[in-house]
Parts: sequence; structure tokens; C-alpha cells
Amino acid sequence: MEQDAQLVQQCLQGDGSAWEELVRRHTRRIFNICYRFTGNRTEAEDLSQEVFLRVYRTLASYRSAHGGFVTWMTSVTRNLLIDHYRRTRRDRITDSLEDAMPAVENKQSSARRPDDLALLGELSTQIQMGLTKLSPELREAVILRDLQQLEYGEIQQVLSVPEGTVKSRINRGRIELARILQQMGVRPS
Amino acid sequence: MSGEHTMNWTCEQTEALLSDYFEGLLQPSERVAFDAHAADCERCAPLLASVSQLVGNLRGMEQLEAPPRLIYAILDKTLGPRETTVAAPGFFGWLRGIGMPRFAYGALSLSTTFFVIASASGFSWRHPKFADLQPTTIARNADRQAHLVFARSAKFVSDLRVVYEIQTRLRQDNEIPTSNEDAVPATAPNQAPGRTDGSMPGGPNQQNRATAVDRNQQLLATIITSRPSLSRVPFFAGAFFPGTLFPGCGYYGRKNP
Repeated sequence: MEQDAQLVQQCLQGDGSAWEELVRRHTRRIFNICYRFTGNRTEAEDLSQEVFLRVYRTLASYRSAHGGFVTWMTSVTRNLLIDHYRRTRRDRITDSLEDAMPAVENKQSSARRPDDLALLGELSTQIQMGLTKLSPELREAVILRDLQQLEYGEIQQVLSVPEGTVKSRINRGRIELARILQQMGVRPS
Repeated sequence: MSGEHTMNWTCEQTEALLSDYFEGLLQPSERVAFDAHAADCERCAPLLASVSQLVGNLRGMEQLEAPPRLIYAILDKTLGPRETTVAAPGFFGWLRGIGMPRFAYGALSLSTTFFVIASASGFSWRHPKFADLQPTTIARNADRQAHLVFARSAKFVSDLRVVYEIQTRLRQDNEIPTSNEDAVPATAPNQAPGRTDGSMPGGPNQQNRATAVDRNQQLLATIITSRPSLSRVPFFAGAFFPGTLFPGCGYYGRKNP
């Protein structure tokens, strides 16, 4: 954490290698958050680039006294993901109408991108599919807690909601995801 | 207190405090009541099991590897395209390709083709002249070489035909004795030369055949000396004309047999 703050200071002084080090340290984590939220590799790559671009432009606004760099960066990521979710809502409504037809649903599930399937194991793939069916509020809470394993306080800072709300969302998200997987016929190991 | 919790614990409470239960945030009395209810409730027991397994699975999922190009794309977008890889390697970068096998094969093939074309067009490698590389000179020399090769080939075939005819004639003559001594029977000690034992003198037919063989051999020697190209018939020509005099005997391979 201290190292991140130091690298940020070096970046602000115009040190390009410090920025490169920051990018290398956090690319994997940001990419994973984006991928778990969108369920699409290409979108995750594009969103990761947007995240770092925004971080680069607003790096001067980061104050280490207000929290860790990871929390701040995750907050930027979350805001971008929510913006992206709202932008693409119309497309998803169309998709959900198509999903209402069982035949089309089967076709879509079988037509999932091969690289996505290869990327994850079978159970991981099914959990990822279940995640994308959660509402964005519950999805981000589960991702941050169970996949990114952030503390409640960090999640509270990222989501800018009270701790009770954080706990409630995580709890409801887990129960909802378990039911979705049960409906999908997934038997957790 | 614990007994009250156990008695009044509901399914809604179980569901609401499920995460706190997993996180270990319940009070001991709440935990006892939770466990007691979950053990007896047909609705809460499977929910507890499925959520417990789900949390285990979620926390066991490994982080995916980010594609390597993503880092470079981010750096390009933020810091701009990097210039370090363009300077010196860009100028001398083409030299790296020389070491590749594909380039070596291509260069060898090209040089061989050039060598064959230059040789066929009459280019002198010992005394090279730039004028020999002009297209008109190359075309003229190539035309002359082609005619020369054709003429040599035609002459070679003609020579082979002559030799084959001679060989055919000799094979016909092999059926008769090839010398006068063989044609004339050995004389008995008590008899006069030219007489067979108790028979009439040798017939004129045998004398004529021996004379014909001698004449054929003289004719062959004359032909060979008059046609020097026959002496250059290669030793392996016998492989193409089995049964002839060619194979390795060297008879026609000498200039003066």
C-alpha cells in the first residue's frame, strides 16, 4: 500500500516508469473485476483500459489519507462499470426478451465464446453465468467480497453506502446466486 | 436467553443473518439458535448448505490472467507509443532476417538459378565481362547454345545408330567362324595341308565366309577412323544397348583401336 502511494507520488512528478509499475501491479485485478462484472472478455479489456485512462487523468485527486490506492482504484472501476451497465441497458433488455424463449436461450448458452469457456472451468463458467444474472448492486457486492476478498470497510468506501447496506447486499447476493445456480441445475462441489 | 432465541428463531432471521453466520459475526447465543433452527428446518438447511458451498467455490476461484497485450495497450494509451524499440533496431532490424532458414534457402535458390542461366548463356566465369550480362547478348548466346546442344545431340544419336548397325552386322556374322584357322579343319600329320582326313579338299564356301568376316572388320576399322566422334561414345552407352560392344570394353573408346 505504501509502495503504491510512493509510486503515485513519483507518477505525479512525471516518472513514467513508476506509472508502468503501477499498471503492471494492478492490471490483473482490474481486469478480473471487469470480467466478473460483464462476463465478456473483450468488454473487460476495453473497460480495463478506460479505468487506467481515467486513473491516469485523475491521479492528482488521489489522497492517500482517504484510503488505500487499491480502494480508490476499485472505486473508479466500479463507477465505470455502473456507467457501462447503464449505457448498455437497452441492449440487455433486448437480450432478456430473447432469453424468454427457451429455444433461443439454449442456443445462446451453447454459442458462448470458446475462449471464455476455455478460460474457466465448467463450474466457474456456470458461476460466472449466474453472476451476470444478478442485479448490478448485488453482483458488485459479491464480486468485491467473495472474489476480490475486500473487507467490509473497503467495500463500504468503494460503494459509498453504509456498512449495513454492504452486509445486506452481500447476503442477498449470495442467496440469490445460490438460487440461480440451483435453477440452472448446477451442483456446487 | 439462548433458549428464547432457539424457540423464536425464524426462517427470515436465518436468511438475513446467513452471511454473518459464515463470517463468524453472530453472538454465541445467536449461533446456537441459528444451528438449532437450521438443523430442523427443511427450508433453511438446504439453503445453508448451498450458500456455504457457493461461498467456498467463489473464494476458490482463481484470478484470471490478464492478456499481455492489455498492459501495452494501457501504456500506449496513457504514456503514448513507446519510442525505445524504434531507433537503432528499426534501422538494422532487416539484418535479423538474413539468419532465418527461409531467407537462406531463397538466396541459395536464386543464386543457383542465376548461375544456371548465366552459364547457359555463355557467360565466362574466368573472364567475366559486363557486356555479357546485357539482355541481347544473353539472348544471342542462349540461342547459340541451344542450337549447339541440339546439333551435338543429333550427332550423338546418329553415331549411336551407326554403331548399332555395325553391331547388328557383327552379330549376324557370329554364327559363322571368325578366322580362317577355325574355318579350316586341323590337318592330320600324315596328310597334305588343305585336305581332310579321307575326304575331299575344303569347299570354297568356307573360304568365302572367312574372307567376308575379315572384310567386315576392315570396314568397321575404316568407319571408326573416319568418324572420330565414335571414339567419344561414352562407356555407359552399353547400358542403353545391351548385347553390343559398348559395355566397358573400351574398344570404341580409344582413338586408335
